[in-house]
Amino acid sequence: MKNARLLIALLTLVLVGGCNNDGPKESGMALIQTTNPSAVTLNKHTREESDLIEAIETDIEGFKELYDVAVVKGKKDILVAYKVKHLQRFRMKQIEKKVVKHLEDKYPNENFTVSSDYKIFLEAVELEKNMKNPNYSPKKAEDKLQEIIKLQKELT
Amino acid sequence: MGNNNQTQKEKQYQSLEKKYETKRPVLKNCLKAFLVGGLFCLVGQAITYFYIYFFNFTEQTAGNPTVATMVFISMLLTGFGVYDHIGQFAGAGSAVPVTGFGNAVISAAIEHRTEGFVLGVGGNMFKLAGSVILFGVFSAFIVALIKTLLIQWGVI
Amino acid sequence: MLIGKQSWTFPNKPVITATGVSGGPFEAKGKLSKDFDILHEDLWMGQDSYEKAQRVLMEEAAQTALEKANMKKDEVQFLIAGDLINQITPTTFSAKTLEMPYVGIFGACSTSMEGLALASFIVNYQGANYILTGSSSHNAANEKQFRYPTEYGGQKPPTAQWSVTGAGAALVKANQNEKGVPVTTSATIGKVVDLGLTDPFNMGGAMAPAAADTIVAHFKDLKLEPSYYDLIITGDLAKIGRDVTYELLQKEGLQIEREKFQDCGLMIYNDDQPVQAGASGAGCSAAVVYGHILNQMKQGVYKRILVVATGALLSPLTYQQKESIPCIAHAVSIEMV
Repeated sequence: MKNARLLIALLTLVLVGGCNNDGPKESGMALIQTTNPSAVTLNKHTREESDLIEAIETDIEGFKELYDVAVVKGKKDILVAYKVKHLQRFRMKQIEKKVVKHLEDKYPNENFTVSSDYKIFLEAVELEKNMKNPNYSPKKAEDKLQEIIKLQKELT
Repeated sequence: MGNNNQTQKEKQYQSLEKKYETKRPVLKNCLKAFLVGGLFCLVGQAITYFYIYFFNFTEQTAGNPTVATMVFISMLLTGFGVYDHIGQFAGAGSAVPVTGFGNAVISAAIEHRTEGFVLGVGGNMFKLAGSVILFGVFSAFIVALIKTLLIQWGVI
Repeated sequence: MLIGKQSWTFPNKPVITATGVSGGPFEAKGKLSKDFDILHEDLWMGQDSYEKAQRVLMEEAAQTALEKANMKKDEVQFLIAGDLINQITPTTFSAKTLEMPYVGIFGACSTSMEGLALASFIVNYQGANYILTGSSSHNAANEKQFRYPTEYGGQKPPTAQWSVTGAGAALVKANQNEKGVPVTTSATIGKVVDLGLTDPFNMGGAMAPAAADTIVAHFKDLKLEPSYYDLIITGDLAKIGRDVTYELLQKEGLQIEREKFQDCGLMIYNDDQPVQAGASGAGCSAAVVYGHILNQMKQGVYKRILVVATGALLSPLTYQQKESIPCIAHAVSIEMV
């Protein structure tokens, strides 16, 4: 009986551990640690563009309820992901509304996707890491961004 | 029947009996329930992160597989005869989380295995959890109905 | 012979000539494990259901009693036995195996003494030469019948009791001027007492008034003082029920020394076993009295004892219909001659 229990426990561990391989590696710690990723653009690397996203990032970091902001700009969409401080998580919805309102007032011409979800943040950080790789094509990056936005819209 | 108008003798005896009755250690039980229930939630949170991390689940969507996994784990624990001991120690701490639901289902299924699969397992599996499902679904329906009506009337 | 209002005396002193006691793994870890004839390591006892396991317990207890008395089963006239499970079917199936004329009785946990009283009465008046009597219970089968599934993780309150997995059987025979044997001398049949308690997790508290009622009636009918007995032992009142009964008896003016007032439900398990208030079940009083207590009597620890087996006559149905718990107690006095 004792052995059987042990065996099952081990099996479960192996099964769970087996899925380890295809997980994101570099951005791995972003779930627990503060990473402060730099803002990235996927297409045009113009001065204008990078100024815009830097400004957005600084803006969002100004909210005292938040920490750790990732901003990614694609062709049309701008993805803003952030982490909410633990004790502020009860007011997550209100904070999101506030952030969206702030962004839309300040940058009325841009199309924002705002999320406080860990998964979205994680993916944004991964995308940022990938962008540092020169072989990573802009097409691929844009697809990835659209994928993240789709994920964000998904409910339950 | 007849319980409402107790005789003098019954009342007298019941107050005498109360004197000797061992009291439930309510405060101690609450503390235990808090700690063990919290531990269950910690495991649940870890599983949620696991799903966010390695699979395409956001915080929004990771709840479903997490619940399924927790129920599965509680089923294993029930089958190996561990969960009832946890239950005796933790009380509400192990009964209220979704694992308690899994335990109620599988313990009834194990219990009536000897009466066969159709009349035994099938017929009795939900004898404890059935009312949870029934009243859960029913109250969810009522709440949703009220919300829909209020939205229709423009109250909220 | 009827004496007083509700008691019998047995002037011919029927002999409890042999007993058999069987138990499960939890009882093997208890205080009285030495007094069991057969102890199982497995709760299933090699069967595929707990009800069948209970049948095995009863059969083994009966067989052991027969073996000790060097008798074959067709020499026994009647079997008087019962238990707590659905229409006492485990006992009925063991009666099928034992192939004896069978009187099935139901008295919940008081079945053991109900059976012994009836057996003694019949034997005393030459209704039979040999009667086998006993009762059995199985923890998991009882839990299934009366409470939640065995593996359900509900928290039991400290007043709850643990059903014994065990059976006890006694062979009662007509006395042929034997000496140095335990005999039954009198019995008191109790009446149903119900003081409105409804909590099935507090059986002891519900059964206490029935126990007190029967004990008081016994001393009144037989015109005896409590000091006549070396030990008054109740069936399965457990911690709460024993204390309550003791106070009720004192209120009735019966002065009993506290250590002479014991309870089977408090004797069978070790203090560190998680049984809450104590033990219960039809097998509890049968296993303790036919095992441990009779052994002690033969060793000379007690000369005269009064066994008061208590039973809660509820069913899962009456409990769910919010009925109170009707309780009963039967007393039999056993003496060494």
